[in-house]
Parts: sequence; structure tokens; C-alpha cells
Amino acid sequence: MSFTHLHVSTAFSAHYGVSWPEELAAAAAADGATALACTDRDGLYGTVKHLKACMAAGLDAIVGVDLAVFDDDGDLRTQLGGRVVVLAHGHNNGAGYRALCRLISDAHARTTGKAQGAVPVAVTRAELASRTLDPETLQPVLTVLIGPDSDVGRAMGGRRYLRPRTLFKRWLDAMPPGTLAAEVVSQLSPPGEPLSTAHAVRMLKLAAEHGVPAVLSNAVRYVAEDGAATADVLDSARTLKSLPELSAAPLLQPNGQGWLKSAARMLELAKEIIHAAGYGTADLKRLLAQTEALADRCRMDPVADMGWKQPVVPEASVIGIAGDALAELTLRCEAGIGRRFPGISGQREQQMRTRLKHELRIIDSLGFASYFLTVAEVSRMILAMGVRAAARGSGASSLVNYLIDISQVNPLQHDLIFERFLSRDRATLPDIDIDVESAERHNVYRKIFERFGAERVTLMSMQNGYRARGAVRDAGLALGMDDGEVGEIAKQLWRFSARHFREALVEKPELKEFADRVEQRGFSENQQLDLLVDLTERLDRLPRHISMHPCGVILGDATLLDRTPVQPSGLGLPMSQFDKHDMDPMGMLKLDVLGVRMQSAMAFAVREVIRLHPSKAEVVAAGAHQAGPDGTGPDYIAEDGRIDLNAVPLDDEPTFELIRSTHTLGCFQIESPGQRELIGKMAPREFNDLIIDISLFRPGPMKSDMVRPFLEHRHGFAPEVYPHPDLKPVLKETHGVTVFHEQILKTFDVMTGCGLARADEFRRALGNDVLEAKVEEFFRKEARARNYSPEVVDKVWGTLKAFGSFGFCKAHGAAFAVPTYQSAWLKAHHPEAFLAGLWEHDPGMYPKRLLVAEARRLGIPILPLDINRSQAEYRVERVESGPDRGKLGIRLSLNGIFGLSAAELKRIVAGQPYDSLADLRARSRLSRPSIQRLAQLGAFDTLHRASGGAANRADLVQHLQKLQARPHRKGVEVIEGQLALPLGDMELKNLKAVLPAPSMVDNVRAELDLMAVDVSEHLMTSHRPLLDRLGVTTADKLLGLRNGTEVLVAGVRVATQTPPMRGGRRVVFISVDDGTGCVDSVFFHEAQEQSGSLLFGTRLLLIRGTTRRTGPRGISISASMAWDLSRPETLPFPVAAPGAPAYPGPELPVPLPGPLDGISRNLAITGLGG
Amino acid sequence: MFSESVDVACTPSGQPLRLDWAGRHYTVCAEPVRWYERRQWWTEESRAPLGSGPGLVDHEIWRVQVRADGEDAAEPTLTLDLSRHVSSGRWRLVRIHDALQPHRKPETA
Repeated sequence: MSFTHLHVSTAFSAHYGVSWPEELAAAAAADGATALACTDRDGLYGTVKHLKACMAAGLDAIVGVDLAVFDDDGDLRTQLGGRVVVLAHGHNNGAGYRALCRLISDAHARTTGKAQGAVPVAVTRAELASRTLDPETLQPVLTVLIGPDSDVGRAMGGRRYLRPRTLFKRWLDAMPPGTLAAEVVSQLSPPGEPLSTAHAVRMLKLAAEHGVPAVLSNAVRYVAEDGAATADVLDSARTLKSLPELSAAPLLQPNGQGWLKSAARMLELAKEIIHAAGYGTADLKRLLAQTEALADRCRMDPVADMGWKQPVVPEASVIGIAGDALAELTLRCEAGIGRRFPGISGQREQQMRTRLKHELRIIDSLGFASYFLTVAEVSRMILAMGVRAAARGSGASSLVNYLIDISQVNPLQHDLIFERFLSRDRATLPDIDIDVESAERHNVYRKIFERFGAERVTLMSMQNGYRARGAVRDAGLALGMDDGEVGEIAKQLWRFSARHFREALVEKPELKEFADRVEQRGFSENQQLDLLVDLTERLDRLPRHISMHPCGVILGDATLLDRTPVQPSGLGLPMSQFDKHDMDPMGMLKLDVLGVRMQSAMAFAVREVIRLHPSKAEVVAAGAHQAGPDGTGPDYIAEDGRIDLNAVPLDDEPTFELIRSTHTLGCFQIESPGQRELIGKMAPREFNDLIIDISLFRPGPMKSDMVRPFLEHRHGFAPEVYPHPDLKPVLKETHGVTVFHEQILKTFDVMTGCGLARADEFRRALGNDVLEAKVEEFFRKEARARNYSPEVVDKVWGTLKAFGSFGFCKAHGAAFAVPTYQSAWLKAHHPEAFLAGLWEHDPGMYPKRLLVAEARRLGIPILPLDINRSQAEYRVERVESGPDRGKLGIRLSLNGIFGLSAAELKRIVAGQPYDSLADLRARSRLSRPSIQRLAQLGAFDTLHRASGGAANRADLVQHLQKLQARPHRKGVEVIEGQLALPLGDMELKNLKAVLPAPSMVDNVRAELDLMAVDVSEHLMTSHRPLLDRLGVTTADKLLGLRNGTEVLVAGVRVATQTPPMRGGRRVVFISVDDGTGCVDSVFFHEAQEQSGSLLFGTRLLLIRGTTRRTGPRGISISASMAWDLSRPETLPFPVAAPGAPAYPGPELPVPLPGPLDGISRNLAITGLGG
Repeated sequence: MFSESVDVACTPSGQPLRLDWAGRHYTVCAEPVRWYERRQWWTEESRAPLGSGPGLVDHEIWRVQVRADGEDAAEPTLTLDLSRHVSSGRWRLVRIHDALQPHRKPETA
């Protein structure tokens, strides 16, 4: 006998289900089941994974949902009357699945898409009833299970005989005939409690009384008993109550029996229920037969019902073509030739045309022409919005993409292979990713919805699973532990999977203190810590919620919403319940429209340049650009001063000089400590070097030591070696080292003659246990047949095997290298505008304050906040007076001041300029704390000076504080357009000078506290005397030191990274900024042991180590020990001469508080993250 | 919770049949009732690792009516709740239903 479970929650029922679809399907199949349902709560979140798992396990999939229903008697917007399971009927050409999707979208339609919204996910009974019949045939296509968690089931308790009957009757009255079943569940809880056999009996009898079929289920939440404890913890996380609280309520599951029981056990259960009901064998048979009959009715045909793997693209009419899509695509490519290859002829033209024909043939055979036209349409639409856009990814391999303006990279120039992107052997929709300005991303989304129609577009979602920090927090909550204590522990968890918590306790030095506490047995709180570790591991990776994917947009035809349920995203636009893994199985066309802050920063910089220098001549002079063909400057600068970044030639020497200097903070892709080290070693000379650099800086190549041989060959330290002369053309650009996927494809092709399309299939098989062996066999046989020696075959296979799985697609590298080059170009020629763009859009990996420090290092004046000059954005400004007169400086923005609301900001800017504080108060209606904060930040200093008053900033702040204590006075009414009399500011003028002026440290502290940026001076400057006494070396002096010199360095943390490393031992990279530049340090195992909890918890670091020269312009520190600079008593002061007083002796005062003291609000200062 | 160890003999399907408790032999004289009851595992256990298996969150309870061997059939029966530890198979007596045994002898307390 086999049994079909019809009510099963997977882990994708967030904070409810425990087991993954694969585990459930495997267990069901092992027990001899032929079908299995997936009924996740509130949606089809796990459905596609379930479908896949069932197909793999040889089961028929049944799909449904566990949904809340509004209480007809209560407030229909908020009050729920229990939950039901809704199953879709199968083998009806998708009518059941369609109804299910629409029903679920109904349930979400009224929610806000924001966490903790007041409206629950639920349907009304009327909505449910209307969806159960197919609108065309009026046949039932859904079955609703009334089970233990329905209003009927919940009324089963106690002695109320009538209540469940009344409620059940209501269902019968409301639902069309043939759409209801009673769900009989006994989880063998104590007699009389919910999920007890007694309740199951009552449900069974109710069904019999009304002639409704009854089915048996176990309302499964976990695949085996072991999951019950995890379910308890998830209940706690969902309800935000601790286990003791839930247990007292009682709100926990009555016991741990909600698992995927075997057919034999389900039969036992059925017998027990039938026996307790006083029924006989015939009734037993009927219960089981009805269960299987419903199961049969709900078996899905993946293809006919759910559209499995059938790509659907928007209708031709929507993308504006009437005829054949391929003919249209060919036409558009022809039109692109003149634009992209002006004047092309002869052999070059021949080559180009051959390639074009080749690509079009493949596109035709796959039937993807309309896909390309769709993407081109989106791309065209974005560019028409005036938004910067660039294709990334393997799409750059396609000439068609280049010709129809999807991509900006010429694949012929960079020798990119189309088959890496698309081939006849691969029938999945290719990925084309489009990078747009991050600030415009949401507008682009809205425009796509507008252009294609809301019925054809939805955002893709993503699953957010538990990681270590969240898991430990929720495990702590479940155990009722103190928030603060759990928070402290969570802070120390740094990028490892929760599943390995216990292992990490042994290994990671920063967890040592915690591990010691776990070790100390005998105290109840420490037993609790032990449990905390176990529960944290249980939560690992389990989905917590879905959210809008950062870039995925799904495009389909008018039936899209029949194929995916949607729910509101935080953005307000609808979002599919499917994630990226579900796209290909469901035949969904996903376009990645990725917001890239760097694109916004660059667009901003270009706008600033044109604003400051509104003519070609001025831009050429300001940027020191070349004279160009006619002596007036290069063609890529328009007469009005607009720079066409995409047209800037890729061979600008000052740009490469900047890159080689390694002062690349702020440059796309090459600003990280590791990248600065690599470019220092590599010293790029041309664009292709950037492509190689970006491709090398990946976990795979770094881990497997590809970089060192490459650099040795490049610099001529070692001769280039080729496994065989035939491979020289393939590997020449990387000096014999295999770096790119494209090279792997060509290697296969050269040595086996397999063709590039098959070669790409082979490449994909590398690293796959089963398939790789077959590839190896083929490769060896064919290569031998072509007379390559066994040694060559061995050697090349070794390379393919090792590098195949993680080599980098050159097309990706080329697409990335474009913004890398462009950003470096802007930094080299227009650093002020570029940095202003970086501050405004904050694109990089570092805290903004480091980029402010970079401006300081470059000698760019940082202009303070000024109530009349600061805008809602950073602005480049010509300095009018003082030592920097005539230079370009960057004026701080009013945006990003703690506590200043967007509305206040708007009013300030709208009302500028102000001639007095009273004027400001009257017209901007700022809150008092905001005015006070602006005063603290010096925004009124200019006004104050102009008033001629003798007081200082501290007096003003105190004055404003006192004002706050007085009752509120109404501001002076100012009539629009009327100018206040230029009386000067009497309030400021009359302010008495009483207090000492705030020190530099005070000012910097206020800046850090309120803006997370140190403006007046670098925050390390005030630590200088202490550092001098310690004998600290500054970043700018390091390059002058010999390799292996022992030094002390110090600074504020700006980056912490733990990249995967060869051999698997963790290495921690910590970069600190000391005001003269960045010091990059590396902590190997022993140094990590020495430094313990300082590794991740400290903002100001003193580091001892030895210099490690990495290249002509690069040096880093191999650390041996670290200290917390803010704890002077622990620091290694030089040992005083005998007799001289030791620290803290009288000649060294106890250090004054530093700028970071007492600031806990803003971790953005150090880039340490949450 | 009050509990003491008892020896239980079961039918092949796992239903208790006879038990030895406090030096006396008892026979189950009515159909027993079985359920699973929640445990406060977070206070009772110090570990709950993945793969702990069954028995962490609940334990199996059998409510049995027994009569001491040799007692008269007219004597009232005794109602006991027994728990069976899932992995070890050991039985413990967890509850004695006083209300159901008016003539209970003091020495059995």
C-alpha cells in the first residue's frame, strides 16, 4: 500500500516548515509513494523546487497552498477565521494551476509588501469560492481541505457540539459542489487537545454526516521526528515569543508528530481513528481510497499544466513588430553595421559578416529572435530615458547584441566567443544583464511595467535564508536569553555558515571567549549557551522571507500572471513568488536590470563637469585633455562640455598611470586591498590588461595560484611555456596561463575538433562528478587521434580539469573593464567631480569617510557645511578665499545629517539664502534638534562671522539648547516673495561669548556622530602624539622601507575581508586608514590567535607586523599582533630607560578622548557593518 | 515530574500487557490509550543537535488500567500513565490517577 501526503509544508514556508523539498521527495519515494504534495503557507515559494525534486525522485507532484481565510463575521480586513489547504487539480491544461496562482495573488493583493503590515495574507471565502471553478468550463479545478486549523477544526475543542457543524455548513453553502473535502488529522496529541485522535474522529463524522469526502493527512512540517525541535524554534521566531512563553500560552505544536510518516504508519493511524470512531473496515478503506482519489485528481502534468521549461516571451505585437521576428532582427543588425563599423570593408567586413550570419543562424534555430528584440527594446527604452546603461556578462560575447545596442563591447576586437553565450546545444534562455544607474533603477522598472503592461511584467524575488548572526539571534530569542548577551555573541560571528557554529567555536580566535563559557558546565546559563549553539545550527540556511531581487525583472506574455503568483514588493510593484532558480524551469524570461552605483556616480560626475565648465574649451583645460584632431579638444567632448564617456578611447596614458600608482580608491572593481596589490604587481598598460586583471582577481584563480606564474611570465622573470605550439595562439594573451573560459573552449576545439558549441557543453561538465569522466574520455581519445603526445594530453587535461570550473568568462571581464577604465579616467582628469559623485552615490566597498580622506590626500579642499551654500547634493565649487583660493573644492551636502528629515532638507534648499537664524527658522520650519545639529556642524559659522558677533560655535549651540527649553513661539509669518529686511542677524550678533571654543576633536566628533564623516581634519590627526610616542610608521612612509622591516602601523579600520584561501585556512585582511593613505594588513592564523576578539570588534587599531613588498608601487603588512588604540593602558609603549617614569608618567598626560569616543551610532564609519 | 522505573511486557504490536511495579505484578485489563506529550526540552536538555532523532520534543504516553495479579475482579482497577522512552524503549511511571482508585492502599504511595 502506498499513501499520498496531501498537506506538506516545506522549508519555503518561512518560519514554519523545516525540511527541503528534496528531502521530502526523497523520503516519500523511498517509502514507495507515487505522488507528494507541496502546500507551503501563503504561496508557491517552494513549488518549483518541489516539482524538480519530484521529477528527480520519480514522483508526481501535487501543488497547493496553505492559506488563511478571513472571518466572515469579523472585520474583513484583519480578522482571520482559520487556515485551509487548497489543492490544484491537474491534467486540465493548467486550469487548476492557473486558478491557484490567481487565488494566491488575491490573498496578497491587499497587503502592503512591507514587514509587519496590518493586513494579513488571506482570502475571503467568496474569493476562494469564485476561484474553485474554471471560468470557461465551470468545472471544479481546486479542492479546499477543511482541516484541523480551519475555523471548523478550531471549534472542535470542548463540548460544543453545534459550533463546528454550523461552521461546516457555512462552507457547504458557500462553496460550489465538488470543491470541498474534510481533512482528518491526528498527530496523537493528548486526548481532547487539538490534533488528537478525538478531534480527527469528530471531523470524520462531520464529513460523513454531510456526505463530504474525508481525506487523511498528517499536516507535515518536517520530514522526520528530528525536525520537531527546529519547528519549535521557528514558531518562536515567527511569533517573536520565547519557548517558555509559547509553551505557557499554549501556542506550541502539541507534540513532535507532524512528520512525513510512512504509509505503514499512516495506515496504523487510520485504523486507530476508524476504531476510535467505532467504524469498520469499509470505512477505513473509504478514507484511504478518498485520499488517493483526491491525490490522483491533483497529480500535475509539469509540461501541460505548469509550462515546465517552455520559454515564453512577450508577443511580437508588444515589441512593435508585425512580421517575422528574425527578419526584423536581421534588419536591425544591418542598420547597426553602419553605426558600429563605419567604413568597414574587405577582409574585416568579410569576417564580421560571417560572424553575424553564424549568430543569426543559431538564434533562428532556437527561436529566440523575439527574445533579442525584447531585450533590445528594454535597452532602447533605458537609453531614451537618458540613463547610463551597459550590458554585462556573457551577452557581451554577441555581435548581434553589439549591433542592436544591447552591449557596448565589440566582441570581434576582444576575441569573444558567441557559443559561450548561446549555442544550439543549450536551449535555455540566455542571460543578458543590463547595468543602469542605481539612482534610476526604480524609474527604469516602472517604465518597463508601463511599456510592456502590468500583466506581462513582474519583479523577481529572492529567498533570504538564515545566516549565522540572524540564526543566533533567533535561537537566543527562543531560549529566552537576554537580548544584550545574544547581541554580543552575534557581533562576533563573522561570515561563516551557522551550520558550522560548533566547529567555529573551536577554530576561530574571536569566538574563544564565548567557547570558554560554553565549556564551563554546571551553570544553567552555560547549558543554555550549549543549546544556543545547537539551535543556531538547526536554523542554518532556512528561508526567512522573500524580498525583491536586486535586479531581476520577469517579462512574459499576457498569461504571465496565470503562471506565477505575485505579491506586492516593498517598492509597490508586484513581485513574483519565484526566485532565480525557478526561472528556467518555469520558462520565464528574466532580465537583470542591475542598479550600479558607480554608473550613477559617473553620471553625476559628468553633470558636475558640465555645470562647472559649460563649454568644450573649459572642460579641455580643466581636465588637461589632449588637443584632438582640430586642436580644440577631443571629439568625445561636445561643444557644451558634455563628455561622452562611452566614446573615450581606451588608451589614455594618464589613466593607466593613475591605475599603476595603485591610488585607485573609488575606481570600479580595482579599489579593494587585494586588487590594489594585484594592479601594483601587474602594472597594467592597456585595456586588455584590465580585462585580465579583473578576470584573475577571482576566488578560483587566487586560490589555485594562477596569478604568480602569470605575473612571472608577464614580467619576463620566467619564460612562457605552452603545452603545445598549437595552443600558443589561444594562450598568448595571458602568457601561457589559462585564465578565460574562452581559452578553455578553444583548447577543447583545437585538440579535439569538437566545435565551440560542444566545447562549451564540455566546459560546463567540468567539475561535475559524473559528466567530467565522460568529457575526459572523449578528450583523451580525440586528442590522441590527432597525434598529441600522451604527455601533452595529460598536461592539458590537468589544466582543463583544474581551471575549467572557475576560469572567468572573458566577456564578463571585458564588460566590467569598461566602467573600471571610465572611472579611472574620471579620477585622473576630473578628480573633484568624480569624488563628489562617489560621495553622493557611495558606490564602493569602503565607508564614505575614506573617500573623503582620499580627497584630502589629493589636496582637494573639503568645504564645510554652510546653510547658504550646501545643497541636497555634494557640489564642486571654486574656492573663493583663503589659502586654497582658485582651487576646486567639494562642498558638503545637507543630505545624510542624522535626524534631518527629507522634508526639512527640501525646505532648507528651497528657502536659500538666509540672512539670519530667525529667517531660517521662519522659512524652513526646521525642528529645534535639527537647527542645533546644524550649528554643531558649523553650518551657521559664515552667518555668524558676517553678523560680527564675538561668540563661538559652543556659545551658539548652548544658546539654541536654552531656546529649546522655552515654550514654542510661532515663527514670523513671511509672505511668499517678500524679502526680509537686510538687518543682519541681531540674534547672532548679540550672542555673548562665554564658553571656550570647541576643540578640533569636539568638532570632528560631532561630524562623525552626525554625518559619519570626519571633515575638519582626519580623525587620526588628534591621535598623532600618541602614535609618535609609540613609534608608528605612516602609510606614505611604508613604501620607502625595506621588505621585511618590523613596523607598527595604526589607523581607523576601513575594510575587513576573509577571502577563501588555498588550503582552506582562513586569512583575515584588515585595512586601516591613517590619514596619509591606506595600510593593508594580513592576519595569518597565528596573528589571529594573538589578536582574538580585536579582529572584528575594534575600530581603531594598532598593528605590529613586517612589511611585505608586493610590487614596484605596492607594500602591505604581514601582521603579528593587534591592539585597540582606544585602550591606551594595553598599548606597547617603548620600555622607558631605567629610572625614567613608566607610562602613564607625569610627562605624558592621559590621552584626551579621541574623535570616535562615545560614538556608537554609526558603524558606517569603519565599514564594519551591522 | 514524579516518575519511577517500571518493567512492561508488551504485545507484538507494542501495546502494554503486563507490568511489574513496586514488587507486584499487574495485568492490563482494558484497552490502553496512547498519545504523545510535549516535553519542555529547552529546560530538560542541555543539547539538541541536528540528528538527535525522536524523543526530544515529546514522549510517548500510555494510559493503562491495571489490576494487581491475584486481586478480585470486583476490586477497582488502577489507572496509570506510563511513558516509553522512544530510543531506549525503557518505561517509566509518570502519573497515578488517584481519583480513580478510592480504595488505594497507603503503602503504594
